[in-house]
Amino acid sequence: MCPLAPSDQLLVARIRRGEPEAWNELIARFEGRLLAFVEGRLGRRTAGEDVVQETFLGFLTSLPNFQDSRPLESYLFSIAAHKLTDHLRREGRRPTIPMTLGNTSGQWEPPARGRAVSSVARSGERRELEETAIVEALNQQIDRLRGRDEWEKLACLELLFVRGWANRDVATELKMTEQRVANFKFEFISRVRTLVRKQGLPEDVFPELHEEA
Amino acid sequence: MARQLTESDLEAYLDEALSVDMMSTVEQALRADAELVRKLAKINARRDAGVHSLGEIWRRHRLSCPTREQLGNYLLGVLDKSATAFVKFHLNVSGCRTCQANLDDLNTRHADEPSIVDSRRKKYFQSSAGHLSRRR
Repeated sequence: MCPLAPSDQLLVARIRRGEPEAWNELIARFEGRLLAFVEGRLGRRTAGEDVVQETFLGFLTSLPNFQDSRPLESYLFSIAAHKLTDHLRREGRRPTIPMTLGNTSGQWEPPARGRAVSSVARSGERRELEETAIVEALNQQIDRLRGRDEWEKLACLELLFVRGWANRDVATELKMTEQRVANFKFEFISRVRTLVRKQGLPEDVFPELHEEA
Repeated sequence: MARQLTESDLEAYLDEALSVDMMSTVEQALRADAELVRKLAKINARRDAGVHSLGEIWRRHRLSCPTREQLGNYLLGVLDKSATAFVKFHLNVSGCRTCQANLDDLNTRHADEPSIVDSRRKKYFQSSAGHLSRRR
């Protein structure tokens, strides 16, 4: 998925200007998929509609902070996920997770080895720059795979990086050798690392790019 | 639980991004496993420190998700064989919750009476349009 599509950009601009027709259009376009997303978890239509209603309100409230670098659909889904989480917590279905570790400092500490200071406690602005750069690098690689019909490789990379599976498990699932998985991983990491370096980011920003294949 | 939960699974749990079945599995496990709660708190603390992971960015931006149009073509059975296999994999093995929601929506679009859909949309509009006009 790419950054905000031109048609979505226009729609958001019209909503920012306060055009009711544009707001109606956004609701009509997205409410069905948002309802399917929350209803799948809640199992109840009325509660699902309440969460979707809160999602649309949340979108308008957060509109001043919405950035065009993010696809509209994934932004709406992330608001729906927050609203759904709140709803499930209120119902007692979703356990509350502490925000700190309860250690003496109450702070998260990076792993001692191989983690540079520059990767810790970065500012929001810095974080956004890094995110934009890595999205661009990953998009280039994923588009390349799609263009070459290398779907098996894309599936392998999804399991490795999005699901965090071990090479062995990926190999079993996709019925390929572990060596082949390791080769795909190595090749992908090398390419993304080069792209990240070209964008002037410190190489230690994403530890996953420095793991052994 | 057949497969041990990975750090990425736990990140996805916090973002409400796992498949519905996996979400329930993690919720059940959390009630009995203090170590799992500690792992989730660690992820929260890392995020709080501004450190992100490649996997969560990939998922948040839906970088390898099929488009809605491709999902529609998948439902119609007009995608080519290898792309169809990937969509199936993405839904069933990767367990992409957002794509599943899109697919469910496309699948059931005509199931609801138009008048029910219309009144639902009106309800959303009427409860939020006030916030829209205040931005003018």
